[in-house]
Amino acid sequence: MLNSISLFLGSGANIIWFMIVLPVAIGVVLWFLGKHYIPALILSLVSAAVNLLFAVSLYRSEGFYLVFPFSSCGLDIALNVYSFSSMFLLFIAAGFLLIILYSVVFLKEKNYAGCFMLYMYISLAMMNGAFMSDNLGVMLFFWEGLLCTLFGILLINNMHNPKTAVKALTLSGTADLLLMLGIIITAYQAGTLYISQMQKLPVSGISAFGFVCMMLGAIGKAGSMPFHSWIPNAADDAPTPFMVAFPAALEKFLGIYLTARIVMDIYDLQPGSGASIAVMTIGTLTIVLAVAMALIQKDMKRLLSYHAISQVGYMVLGIGTALPIGIVGGLFHMLNHVIYKSCLFMTAGSVEIQTGTTDLRKIGGLAKKMPVTAICFVISALAISGVPPLNGFFSKELVFDAALESNVVFYLGALLGAFMTAISFLKLGRAAFGGEYKLPSAKKYVRESSAGMFLPMGVLAVLCVLFGVANTLPLDGLLCPALGDTEVYSGWPHSTVLVLISIAVLLLSLGDHLYGSKKSGSALDAADHIHYAPVLKNIYNAAEKQLFDPYNWLMHVANGFSALCVFIERCITWLYDDGVVGIVKGAGTLLQRFNDGSLSRYLVVAITGVAGIIVLFLAII
Amino acid sequence: MQVIEYSAVLFFAVPLAILLINILFPKQLAEKFSIYLAGIAAITQIAASAAGFLLLSAYRLHEYEFSFWDMTNAGSVRFGVNTFSLVILFCIGLVSLASILVANRTVDKKRAGYVNLLMMLMLGMNGMVMVTDLFSLYVFLEIVGIASFVLIAMFKSDTGLEGAFKYLVMSILASIMILTGLSFIFMQTGSLQYAHVVGMNLLEGQSSPQLMLIYAAMTLMIAGFGIKTGAVPFHSWLPDAHQSANTAVSVLLSGIVIKVAGIYGFIVLTGLFSKLPAVNMALAIMGTVSIIIGALFALRQNHFKRIVAYSSVSQMGYILLGLSAGSILGLLGAVVHVFNHATFKSTLFTNAAAVHEQTGTYDIDEMGGLEKKMPVTGFSSLAAFMSTAGIPPFAGFWSKLLIIMALWDSGFQLFAAIALFASIFTAVYFLRLQKKVFFGKLLSKFAGLTEIGGSIKFAQIMLTVVTIATGLFFPFALLYLKGIGIL
Repeated sequence: MLNSISLFLGSGANIIWFMIVLPVAIGVVLWFLGKHYIPALILSLVSAAVNLLFAVSLYRSEGFYLVFPFSSCGLDIALNVYSFSSMFLLFIAAGFLLIILYSVVFLKEKNYAGCFMLYMYISLAMMNGAFMSDNLGVMLFFWEGLLCTLFGILLINNMHNPKTAVKALTLSGTADLLLMLGIIITAYQAGTLYISQMQKLPVSGISAFGFVCMMLGAIGKAGSMPFHSWIPNAADDAPTPFMVAFPAALEKFLGIYLTARIVMDIYDLQPGSGASIAVMTIGTLTIVLAVAMALIQKDMKRLLSYHAISQVGYMVLGIGTALPIGIVGGLFHMLNHVIYKSCLFMTAGSVEIQTGTTDLRKIGGLAKKMPVTAICFVISALAISGVPPLNGFFSKELVFDAALESNVVFYLGALLGAFMTAISFLKLGRAAFGGEYKLPSAKKYVRESSAGMFLPMGVLAVLCVLFGVANTLPLDGLLCPALGDTEVYSGWPHSTVLVLISIAVLLLSLGDHLYGSKKSGSALDAADHIHYAPVLKNIYNAAEKQLFDPYNWLMHVANGFSALCVFIERCITWLYDDGVVGIVKGAGTLLQRFNDGSLSRYLVVAITGVAGIIVLFLAII
Repeated sequence: MQVIEYSAVLFFAVPLAILLINILFPKQLAEKFSIYLAGIAAITQIAASAAGFLLLSAYRLHEYEFSFWDMTNAGSVRFGVNTFSLVILFCIGLVSLASILVANRTVDKKRAGYVNLLMMLMLGMNGMVMVTDLFSLYVFLEIVGIASFVLIAMFKSDTGLEGAFKYLVMSILASIMILTGLSFIFMQTGSLQYAHVVGMNLLEGQSSPQLMLIYAAMTLMIAGFGIKTGAVPFHSWLPDAHQSANTAVSVLLSGIVIKVAGIYGFIVLTGLFSKLPAVNMALAIMGTVSIIIGALFALRQNHFKRIVAYSSVSQMGYILLGLSAGSILGLLGAVVHVFNHATFKSTLFTNAAAVHEQTGTYDIDEMGGLEKKMPVTGFSSLAAFMSTAGIPPFAGFWSKLLIIMALWDSGFQLFAAIALFASIFTAVYFLRLQKKVFFGKLLSKFAGLTEIGGSIKFAQIMLTVVTIATGLFFPFALLYLKGIGIL
């Protein structure tokens, strides 16, 4: 059956109709269904399942290349479905099914549910389109489509205070502009817009600039620094399913997909070259700085959002090494991250639904009331911290391996990140689920979430374990065939030393946590000794005041520029309104005064004119 | 060919005949009916020039020469018409008709005198356009001048007499200059026939004093025709004379006399002497200065007719710029602008007459909101002002476009740019006029105001239709001109 579906999709324009237009159409229907819970649930589950079926069949097919002439100026819609892109189609379809189930249940009885669904399905269509596009220009179209839905979703719940939406649009838009510039340069250098026709460009001269621009655009979409700072704001005021969908899953897939394509297909990135070092530096900085911010957060969603930034660093670091093991590690980490980070955000949403808050100072001891949520949280928290034998451990080890092979500095940075990740999750887990039950008596009847919410969580938690214990499944079954890599990365890591170091770091973080909680007296404040350490205190204060936010820098520049523009505009207005008018009126008045009606004066003027003509003739002859 | 000759003869015969009829008839009868006779003369002229235009193109001729006597005789005067002069003859007919329609309301007494002078003026202008030698041109120029002085002065108002006197003094200066210039050229060439002068190469083999003489002649003739045109710095008489005359006369003076007496002289000059360097440059500079200074003057006036008169100075600048390009495109642009200016300037003076008839004032500060009470006048004024400012699709846009294109092609890019930007001034001073007179709130004292009727309304509608139709159908006119081989 899968074969016949893939044959059907691969003929004519069916793929456009069923992978891109159909999700949009379903989104429109869901929009009209609005708050009607049961039909919306059924339709969204069926459509997401059908999309998964399509994706599986495409993944199982041998791939195909379709061109739909769109206009005469070279913008053909060229779709290339091959092993790598169809793997991403599979990822997104599977993730979408779980996320959409969670979203429908979470948004039950909410006014904006229909609108949210519309945006989600448009996003799915755009992602499908972006993964299949072979033409960079067409890919950019789908890419920007995702920016629009991002803006839309951030806006629906905050119509009157669109600050976060504007911030996200500005930052992502800047990243997309860089991507656009990079695509223009790349296409100019390569002489084509089609990725499949590109010879790998050397990263030098103008091409290096193009590489940097494209890379910044791609990792910016994934949420890496310096285009990250809207994500914590979104954690504050966007609906939780948005956090599950966008920063945790969809944007990671898309950004890392393009990052991998740039390194593998478009540019010839040499391991150890300057460009590679630059990308790895960005990755390492993202890991360390974001996780350092996560350490001091006192809100569950906000803390998780900083981790969503931090984990991108591992992916960028892994892919930036340009080593096969690094690329596999980066992609595997992306897959794992989507699994456990979605799960973590879902548990946060579950807590939010039941208690009405995610502020760690107000909640505590939820493990007894919400056991399933707590178990899912613990599994995924252990996975993100890199505890063997869960999935995060194996992908991190691959990235560590690649980083160490490039430069020990990057390895140390990544280790520091792992250390702080473990500390912050120990703190988060103990503050939220362990200890005393703190909620006020009115909230006594906190109980486990509905099945629609813990089902996706449970599936993801199981995947965390499965992809760790049986890591041959994703690595040998999915990633390596898609990459065409014959090396074996599955099984227990090759280097026992690295494993031992990692475990030592984990133990060290456990020790630090115990020391911190003993010193401050509570699990919540376990990281305070780092927060209020002599030098770090000042840095953290500045960071809390958003002094390091690139968005604020951008806004300062923009304000300065607009002030300059206003000044110039005022000058021009003055010139028009007063300057020119004054000159013209003055000249007219002067002439009028001179022309007083006396005939002798008229004659003098006329004779002067004759003299003028004579002078002109004398001058020209 | 005979047919063309007959139609050409009409240009002389009809005004002369009506002049004679007017003088021979008893005075009361003449006072009563002469204006209708004049109307017949104007309509005949329009029809004859249109017929001549069609005949020329039917025979695929560019020009046609004829004489009233044997062409070989020494005392014979040759006449000729060509495509461009027929356009100007058409304008003469059109503006005369407009003037007659206005005069029907504004001229109460001395109608016979007005008609006689108008006939003389038409005769003189037709003659100027049709003669083929410089001296005859001068003779008819004098006829035009004298008829104009008397037309300004005949209504015996103080300002009229003053304006006429200024015009007289300046005009005599111009006559002296032109006549002296003619004689200098005659010294060099021995003939004043256009055909002879244009055939001679005036620059080759001339000694320095002889060259001096030629350039002296050019200086004098440019200055002389400059005075007749009213180009800056020879413009001073024009606003005084045009403002103080009866509005029917103003229509004539601004609408056609300055163009035939002045611009047509320049058309002849550039046709004959455009090979001399500096002639085109002198025209271009004079044109540019006229555009700007005229517009600046117009901006600061409060007298309806004076604004329109200064606008004439400014628009003459455009025509001079077109001529200075020295190409057939420039000549075409200039002639089309002559035609357009004739229509829209007549419209504006007619409107001045209409507003004065209804409100009793020419001061634009005392008006406001007249559009509501005088919609026909308001709209025709708007159309005329848009055409003057060169806003598409009105007629003025096309002629300005041709002029600017011709300037650009001839290498006068700077002048082209100035001409383009100075159009803004045109829009500004007419927008001011339009706003103060027709837009805004209706003043309470004008509550009982009514629209003008009768012949003035007819003139307004006729001229506005011509303006709009010319603008809309001008591309076809260009195609037609291309078809008959002029462009």
